[in-house]
Parts: sequence; C-alpha cells; structure tokens
Amino acid sequence: MSQLMGVSPLLLLVAAGLAIMLVDGFTKERAELASVTAVSLFVAAALAGTMLASGNVAPAPDVITRYLAVDQLALFFDVVICVGAGLSVLLAGGYLREHGFERGEFYVLILFTAFGAMVLARAVDLLSIFLGLETMSLGAYALVAYRRTSARAVEGAVKYFLLGSFAAAILLFGSALLYGATGHTDLAGIGQVVAAGQADATLTVLALVMLIVGLAFKLGAVPFHMWVPDAYEGAVTPVTTFMSVGIKAAAVAVLLRVLVGAFGDPASMGLYTGWTPVIMLLAVITMVYGNLAALAQTSVKRMLAYSSVAHAGYILVGLAAVHEVGSFAVSSVLYYIAAYTFSNVLAFGSLILMGSKGKEAVSYDDLAGAGRRHPVAAFPFVIGVLSLLGMPPTAGFFGKYYVFSAAVQAGGPMIWVAVIGVLASAVGAYYYLKVIVYLFMREPEEDQPIAVPMRSMYVTVTLVLAGYYVVKMGITPSRYLDWAVSAASSLVG
Amino acid sequence: MTTHYLTWLLAIPAASALVVLLVPRSWDVAIKRFSIGAMLVELIVSLRLVLADYSDAGYRFVEHVAWVESFGISYKVGVDGISLWLVVLTTLLSPIALYASWGSIKTGIKGYALSFLLLELGMLGAFVALDLFLFYVFWELMLVPMYLIIGIWGGKDRVYAAVKFFLYTMVGSLLMLVAILYVVASYEKLAGHYTFDLQELSSLVLPASQQYLLFGAFALAFAIKVPMFPFHTWLPDAHVQAPTGGSVILAAVLLKLGIYGFIRFAMPLFPVASQTIGPVLAGLGVVGIIYGAYAAWVQRDLKKLVAYSSVSHMGFILLGLFAMNRNGISGAILQMINHGISTGALFLLVGVIYDRRHSRKLDDFGGLAKVMPWYTLFFVVITLSSIGLPGTNGFVGEFMILAGSFLSRTAIGFGSSWFIMTLLATTGVIFAAVYMLHAVLRIFWGKIVHPENESLTDLNRREVASLLPLIVMVFWIGLYPKFFLDKMNPSVDAFVTDFTVRYYEGRRTGEPRLVDFEELEQRIEAAGGLAMAEPTHEDAQ
Repeated sequence: MSQLMGVSPLLLLVAAGLAIMLVDGFTKERAELASVTAVSLFVAAALAGTMLASGNVAPAPDVITRYLAVDQLALFFDVVICVGAGLSVLLAGGYLREHGFERGEFYVLILFTAFGAMVLARAVDLLSIFLGLETMSLGAYALVAYRRTSARAVEGAVKYFLLGSFAAAILLFGSALLYGATGHTDLAGIGQVVAAGQADATLTVLALVMLIVGLAFKLGAVPFHMWVPDAYEGAVTPVTTFMSVGIKAAAVAVLLRVLVGAFGDPASMGLYTGWTPVIMLLAVITMVYGNLAALAQTSVKRMLAYSSVAHAGYILVGLAAVHEVGSFAVSSVLYYIAAYTFSNVLAFGSLILMGSKGKEAVSYDDLAGAGRRHPVAAFPFVIGVLSLLGMPPTAGFFGKYYVFSAAVQAGGPMIWVAVIGVLASAVGAYYYLKVIVYLFMREPEEDQPIAVPMRSMYVTVTLVLAGYYVVKMGITPSRYLDWAVSAASSLVG
Repeated sequence: MTTHYLTWLLAIPAASALVVLLVPRSWDVAIKRFSIGAMLVELIVSLRLVLADYSDAGYRFVEHVAWVESFGISYKVGVDGISLWLVVLTTLLSPIALYASWGSIKTGIKGYALSFLLLELGMLGAFVALDLFLFYVFWELMLVPMYLIIGIWGGKDRVYAAVKFFLYTMVGSLLMLVAILYVVASYEKLAGHYTFDLQELSSLVLPASQQYLLFGAFALAFAIKVPMFPFHTWLPDAHVQAPTGGSVILAAVLLKLGIYGFIRFAMPLFPVASQTIGPVLAGLGVVGIIYGAYAAWVQRDLKKLVAYSSVSHMGFILLGLFAMNRNGISGAILQMINHGISTGALFLLVGVIYDRRHSRKLDDFGGLAKVMPWYTLFFVVITLSSIGLPGTNGFVGEFMILAGSFLSRTAIGFGSSWFIMTLLATTGVIFAAVYMLHAVLRIFWGKIVHPENESLTDLNRREVASLLPLIVMVFWIGLYPKFFLDKMNPSVDAFVTDFTVRYYEGRRTGEPRLVDFEELEQRIEAAGGLAMAEPTHEDAQ
C-alpha cells in the first residue's frame, strides 16, 4: 500500500470522481456536490502537501515510475492543481446555482480534468504525456461547452477543440519523430541518447520544435494563443478559472520535464538543441502581445484571458533562465505558478461575486460604481488585480520579483528580456487599474443599474482563502519558497 | 541599543489601518478621530527619534531581522541625519493633511482614512528602509493609496490624473527593480550569498559602463518622482485633481522621496555615474527652476501655479544635491523640509479658498484682504517663506544651495558651468518673487470685483490649527536653522567623504569587485584625510 502513497492524490481523485458520478445518478438533490468535490480535492492537495513538506516520498514500483514520476516536483504540481481545481469548484458551487445551471456532471468532469492535469504534470514518458494531455483536454473541451445553450460557449469549445486537436497531433508527431531519432520514449532515455550525441540532429530539432509548439498551445503562449480569449470568454467563469490555473500549471510542468529533464543537460545544449533562445523569443512576444491585447478589451473576462497569456510570458522568462541559473530559475517558475493560481482565483472569483442571477458581470461597464456601493465585495477584486499587476505586498509581486531575478542572474540577453518584461507589465497597470477605476471612480450610465453582488457562502469562502494566501505568500513567502526550491531540486540537482 | 521606535513607527499606521478596515463604514466620527489620533501618536514617537545623538554619522535605532533568508532579504531599518527630518516632516504633515481634509471630504471617510494611513506607512517605510527590497516594497506601497486618493476623492478629471500618476511612477520603479536585481546578482557572484542590505551592497564596486546603465534606471525612477524636468508632466495634473489633503502630502513628502532615493541609494551605489551625470541632472534642475517659474507665472489656476512652483523649487534641490559638497547637500536636505512646509501650507491655503468659493481661478478673486484678514496674513507669510525672504526657512535653504553650487567643482565640459548654473538658478529666486507676489496681488489686494467674495468667512478653527504648526516651523527654521543643521551635518559630511572615496575607487576598476570601504576610509583618515582628494573637474574629464 505504501508503494502507492506517491500517487495517492491521483487515486483519490479517481475514486472521488467515480463516487460522485454514482451518487449523481441516484439523487435528485445534488445540492452539496460542490462541497464534496472541493473537499476531496483539498484532501488530495493536503496529502500531496504533507508528503512535499516532509521531504521524503515513498518509492513507487517501477511499473509506475517508468511512466509517472513520483517526486517532489510532481507533488508540488499536485498541490497547485488540486488547490486551483478545489477553489474553482467552490466558485462553481456558488456561480452555477446562482445562474441556474448546476448539474452533477460538472463536478465529475472537473475532477477528471484535474486528474489528467496531474498525470500530465508527472509524465516522464512520451506515451504518458500524450495520455495525460488528452485526458485533461477532453475534460476541458467538455467543460468549456458546459453551458451548451450559449452560442459563445459552443464557439469557444469548438475553437478550442479544433485547435487543441491540431496541437495534440503536432505533439504526437513530434513524439514519434523523437522516438525515431533516439529509440526511446522515456524522457530520461531520450536525454541520455541526446547527451551522448547519438541522436539524429535534424530529427531531434524538428521533434523538439513540435513538442514545444504542442505544449505552448496548452500554455497559451503567443502565437499559439488564438483559442484563449474565445474559450475563456465562452466557458462559465469557474471553468475559466480552472483553465487559467490548473491547465496552465500542468503545461508548465510538462514543459519543465521535457526541456529540463530531457534536453536540460548542458552537454546536450550545443547549438542544435539549444532551446533557450526559442523560449526567450516566445516569452518576449507573449509578454508584449498579451499585455497589449489586454489593453484593448472591454470585457473584464477577456481582459483576464489576455492577462493570463501575458502571465504565461512571465513564466516563460523563468523557464528561459533555467539553462544559466538552474534550480533557482525552476523554483522561480514554480513559485510564480503558485502565486498566480491564488491571484487569478481571487480575480475571477471577485468577478463572479459581482454578478447575480440574470445579470452576470462581464464587462467593465457592469462593474461601474459597484465598489462605492459595495466596498466589502469589491475589496478582494482590488487585492486580486494588484497581485496580478505585481504590487507589493502580494504574492504576485514576489512571484514577479523571483522570475525577473532569475532572468537578471542569467545575465546577457536575459537582462534585456527582463527589461522588456517589466515594461510590458507596466502596460498591465493600465488595464488592471481600469477594474479599480470602474469599481470606485465611475458611476454607471444613466439607465444602467449598479451591479448587485451575489450572496453565496461558497464564493465568499473561496475569496477569503485565496485572498489570505495572496497576502500571506507576499508577506511571508519563506515556507512556499522552500517548497518550490525542494520541488525544483528534484528536477535540477 | 535595541529600541524598537522605528518598528513602532511602522506598526502604528499599519495597525491603525487594519482597525479602520474592520470598523463599519457608518462610524464616521470615530474613524476621523481615531485616524488623527493614531497619527498624533506617530508624531510623538517620531519626536523621540530627534532626541537621539547624531553627532557622528551612522544609523540610529537600527533593527535587523531576516525576512526571506534564502534571498538575503531582511527587515532592516535605521535613521540618520539625512532621513531624520524627512521622517519628522512626514509624521508632521500627515495628521495636518488628514485633519484639513475632514473639512472637505464628506464621502468615503473610511476609505480615505485607510488610504492616508497606508500612505503614511509607505512613506515612512521608504525613509527608514536600509534594505533595497524593503525600500522597494514601501516605495510601491505608497503608489496605490495615492492613486486612490486622487482617483476617488479628486476633481473632474481625476481618473486621468490618477492613472497618469500611477503609470509614470510605475514605469520608473520597475526599471529600478531590474537594476536592483542586477546589483544583487553582481554582489552574489562575488560574495557568494544574496543580500539586499544596503550597507553590504555598498561594498560592491561596479565598472563605470555598468554604473551608467544602473544609475540611469535608478535616476529615472527618482527623477520621475522628484519630478525633474522633463518628467514633470504628471505633477500639475495630479495636483490639480487631487483633493487638498492629497496635494499636501504629494507635494510635501512624496516628491522628497525622489531626492532621498538619490542620496541614499543611487549616489553611493553608483558614484562614478553620479559624478559624471550629476551635473547634467543639476542642469536639468536649473531648466526646471526657470521653466517651472515661467509656467507658474502664466497660470490662471492658483493650484496649478503652486504645482509649477513645486517643479521650480525641486530644481533647486537637485542643483544643491549634485553640487556634491556639504553646503549644497545640507541645503538640499533642509530645502526639502522647507519645501514640504511651505508648499504643503500653500496647498492647504488653496484648499481653504476652494472650499468657500469652489474656484481656484485668480480672476475670481481680488480684494480678499478686506474680508479675510487672517487668511491674508497666513497666505502672505507662507508666500514669503516660499520665495525665500530672509528670516523665513526658504532663505536659509536656497542660500545654502546656491552657495554650494557656486563652489562646486564637479563638472563636465567646461569649468565655469557651475557658475552659470548658479547664476541662472539665482534668477529663479527672482522669478519666484514675481509669480508668487503677482498671485498675492491679484487675490488679496485691489477692490472686490466679485460680489460673492464679500461674504467669505475667515479661517475657521480647524484651518488655523492645521496651519499654525507650519507657520511656527517657517520661523523656527528661518531664524534658528542650527538646530536642524547640527543633526544632519555629521551625516552629510560623512556622505561627502564616503562618496569621494567611492568615486576614486570606482574609477580605478574595470572589473566588479568588493571593497571594504570602512577600512579604506580609516586608512585614508590615518594618512591625513581627504583634504585634497575632492574631485576636480580635471578628474572628471
């Protein structure tokens, strides 16, 4: 039994998903499924967190570790994904009921999607990568289309599905080429062959490019971000929340494992496999484009979608620094992901809170004057956008400080990437502040009513939790830093 | 000596902000009294700092606690002769500005008090922080409350002004963040551990080429805050739109943080660059003096006039600062206090008339001396202090700055550039008299042309109470500046010596390295001091 401890969070989610499916079939009263789902996700997170904090992971049998890593890094992502999913589920508990489309399958889908994301985050074999990716994506496609009567949702889902399948195909093709070039499907084996210089150079480069493209798509990096705004806008907001945190985290995890795990050996970083410039370029265009595009939005939800693109760019900055500064950069990426998870849940959750039945808050105009009328409800929104903007003392500031610090330490061109990054994030000040402007400094148009916040225990609890951690990770970050560092050390010694 | 005065200084506004956050919105009166009370306690705590002995350089009341150990980030605070009076200025002006606000701010009392307390926390934190990370945190922390104060309680175009203020400051400070990270990374490569501690980082000597870029990043952040010409354009907008209390704090304290940043961080860390670029910045200061004065002269809006006069006055401070000698720097620091007092008071006075007439146009007034004699008296006294009449504080500061810059020998180009700059700056003093007296003339003398002015009431008790301490300070500094200068001079002397040593050390090197400056300075002291080592313009070329 103890051999399975390392993957117990995964097993727990599957069991919970199956149980909820069963229960949902037999009950008409599905009222508290949200809390059951959230609790099982939080228990899974606690399980992983305990193992992560204790520092020793029980060794798992070969049959598992051959495909799924059981290490600190995997546990770290378990925590992030489960917490992100759990908070999203809590939001859903309030949101779906308020707007009258709560159905049991939502919770089952989100559990299985989280499961897929966790598989992906610990996948160390091309096969398990694809398996995890598809498990996660299928769930996500369905979740985006969850509000099936809405044309927006269907449009978003179809776009997401088509582009996603395309990206998955590219990834699969890349995997096949990589297998052809190295004769291995496991990342460690691939890494050894590449490091030894026995792999076919052209094939390897081609394969690596395809892998990066496929994963950058899931991450939502420019120019593979086309689906992001439509899917994020079309999906019900709790799903958007989960996609922007859980799915993004999983994509980052697998990028780390592929790039650092398989191609990270400095010996293999000759000209032909040097992925740093590619990631650097991706980071720069993603940050610049994401921030500029967010500037032009009139819908807060779309703005947050583009902002999540921009944040993918900051994450890539950390990733690009890995080659030079090693585990410092990896842990900066990990910390950023964790900080971003709480900040984004806070921002999306506040947006949810600002709407009530029949009047969902989506655009800036919907928020006009709401802060003056309901300052308590608007307060978390302020903290959320300030954290996304990276103002101290919030988690977002510390995360941003950490990745840019990694970039500056990497030296050379990375310093200029950091400069571009901070300037791009200064652009962010404009559109994040716009939220505060509308909440507190504008009055609604003549005939428009002021938004009425919904009353929901679920949403309130989520915001309190997320807000607490946003502030805590900003003021006393040490403990979370230690976790990120220990998780990073399992990838880079 | 382990006293926690500085921690109290930071804890009181933080805790009070928390209390205000938690009480219900409807407790208006309680919130008003409580926030003022907290700030007065704060003032008393800060006065305790003055009692300490500042007869030698070095920090007093230092507290040092690790914050994020793995990154070398620590909570390190301390105060010396340079920051002492700025801290007191902050604790003095904050309650005054808040108290004056309660006359005109009627909505959102809770949010306003909260913003003010957080603002005070940010400003004090930035003045006492001796850790670059901590400094940056407080530096950014000030931004949001000021943004809210302008944006929520401001005038008609408040949103535009607030966002402009925020964006300008943010761009500058983010580049500074990258520069800070670069300094820390360079230090780590040599010393093997991370630290943000200013005193430890000060031992790092970087090659000149790197210093220019890094100094540029710091200088941009600070120059925007000062604001130095040509980065001043956010200031008139922000001032005109901000509510009275916000304007007072903005002019009196926030702008000083830019200058303080130069003294405390940019100049000691990058001496070669500041020695070379300094005269250019001083030159821009002179441009600011004249431009600000001209711009102030043509304003029809009294508040805008005062705002532009700020640009002009801050130019003097830049000039004194980069003269790099004792008179110049002491004068600059003293003038920071003076400007805080007199411009803060001017904004209060503008607020007084605006509350009564809802206009700030010079044309709407005239002959007010007849209906508001006390107001006139206060206004004229402050005006005289602002234009530097002997006997008032402004004279002492400006005189010291001009004396310092006249004798300054750091120069680029040709040796007489400081002479020319001093000459031009002196004309700024005359212009100041022109535009301020012009305004006084238009407002207070002549006949009452607008009948609505006949019924204006004179200063009420609240207004007198908020202005009186500032009037006292005007004459105290004006007549007995020794009390203030004695506390700051040892620190300033040490700063000049230290800077000179750093400058020479910095010029000798091509590679980044660590130098134990304390030891080096002792050696120089033993060898007969630095009497002849003050850099001349031949050296700088």
